[in-house]
Amino acid sequence: MKDIYILGIETSCDETSASIVKNGNEEIATVVLSQIDIHKDFGGVVPEIASRHHVKNITIVIEECLEKANMEINQIDGIAVTYGPGLVGSLLVGVEAAKTLAYANNIPLIPVNHMSGHIYANELEKPLEFPLIALVISGGHTELIYMKDHYNFEKIGGTLDDAVGECYDKVARIVNVPYPGGPTIDRWAYEGKDTYSLPLPLNDDSYNFSFSGLKSAVINLVHNEKQRGNEIRKKDLAASFQNTVVEIITKKTMRALKDYQVNHLIIAGGVAANKVLRERLMELCQKENISFSCPSIQHCTDNAAMIAASGYHAYLLGHRADLTLNPQSSLELANQKVVNKEED
Amino acid sequence: MKVLYIDTTTSYLYTGIVVDGKLIVEIKKEFGKDLSRQALSKISDMIKQAKLKPTDIDKIMVVNGPGSFTGIRVGVTIAKTFAYTLKKEVITLLSLEAMAISNKNEKVFKVPIIDARRGYIYGAIYNQENIPVLKPQYISLEALKSATNHLLEDFEYISNQEFTDLKVESYNPNIEKIVNTLISREGTNPHAVNPVYLKQTEAEEKQNTEII
Repeated sequence: MKDIYILGIETSCDETSASIVKNGNEEIATVVLSQIDIHKDFGGVVPEIASRHHVKNITIVIEECLEKANMEINQIDGIAVTYGPGLVGSLLVGVEAAKTLAYANNIPLIPVNHMSGHIYANELEKPLEFPLIALVISGGHTELIYMKDHYNFEKIGGTLDDAVGECYDKVARIVNVPYPGGPTIDRWAYEGKDTYSLPLPLNDDSYNFSFSGLKSAVINLVHNEKQRGNEIRKKDLAASFQNTVVEIITKKTMRALKDYQVNHLIIAGGVAANKVLRERLMELCQKENISFSCPSIQHCTDNAAMIAASGYHAYLLGHRADLTLNPQSSLELANQKVVNKEED
Repeated sequence: MKVLYIDTTTSYLYTGIVVDGKLIVEIKKEFGKDLSRQALSKISDMIKQAKLKPTDIDKIMVVNGPGSFTGIRVGVTIAKTFAYTLKKEVITLLSLEAMAISNKNEKVFKVPIIDARRGYIYGAIYNQENIPVLKPQYISLEALKSATNHLLEDFEYISNQEFTDLKVESYNPNIEKIVNTLISREGTNPHAVNPVYLKQTEAEEKQNTEII
């Protein structure tokens, strides 16, 4: 069979990225231009500033990627672009560029859901095995997805309020860690001891999560300790917080695997880079004889390689977009299949 | 010489193809919030209608601001990607400049304006040779009004929007005239084609005030 090369384009938040992936699993070249240092000054991503940087950098990133791959655009079989979820102004730049590239060079345009990209980042490590449960955890998502086959997403649980990554960043702010605080909390947790008592949030029979209560518990704990004149042991607090998060996530994930009689677990999204969570899940899966897969660290954060990997399977399934493709700030993974059916 | 003209800086799509100095096809339509969805699709329809292929285009002329931030990015991203991938030249111009060039009345001064909300506009004053005597800027409408005081009333406001208590000549781009006027302007490397917002983001403005 002929090799398929997909050019992926990702601009959903503050990373401008392009990547070429061969046959859905072989990363040929990836360029990621991060704006993190720019947004640091503002304590978070400023959407208008992010959009301005994307438009400045988009063609440079695409050119660099093609040069790195030593390829010409006419060797590309499909252009896969993230069209949601994400910041609509940021998404727009990637979508317009992808549409124009596809039109000017007469190449198929493939719409890709950002979260599907995170899931397919695992394909860059090893092929997905079905049925599987995907734990999707990032700054905007905390979801358990059941997949019977490629591009068959059934959401079995999700967060009722804050996403787990959001909760990390908020807790970081409570203890005065500069943006982005999540990775710092992860590092501290590794060094600290779980000495503070925090409630296990939404410890019920559902596959849903809730983290806003945990955030409030941390705020109250810090407040009460201050009132008593006690100094906060930040690393221990980070450890206690992280243990609580990891415990509830692993508990519900393992139960989902058991209930659905599934032997494959994958994790995806920015928070999948979390060391403790990865280790704990790996341990538990080993014990239960479940295969466990996680993306490499550089593929956990936003990148276009995962979009190209996901785009490859969408390409094989015949997913195409025309030149009216428009970004969507919120886009459900579970609806993907339904949407495509309607288009047929 | 085939020139593709693109302006998406307001709620309208203004696009056309000028072949050897003659306009052969154009679209002037208001899309409002649907502009980002429709722009490239309509441009491709138009190129097809002109019985051309993307590769037949020799030059792109794109309006790179000021105006709607999102709108500017739509046109600029299309233009720079198109030009980069097909190795074409890009000429950029300002929306206000296009408005001044298109004006066909005999007034000595032309004052194109675009609403920037909260009493502010993007505006400039051009003379008959379309040279700015007040450079394009983000300015309060009141301040611009007083700047017009010494123009001896021999001027008119131009806009494709309506303003209360202000008589404006409605803007209807003359794409052929714009392209022919600016065709010899030096081209820009596609990667370096960037929006001209004339206004910082609110986050930057706030940060600057805090520093002061």
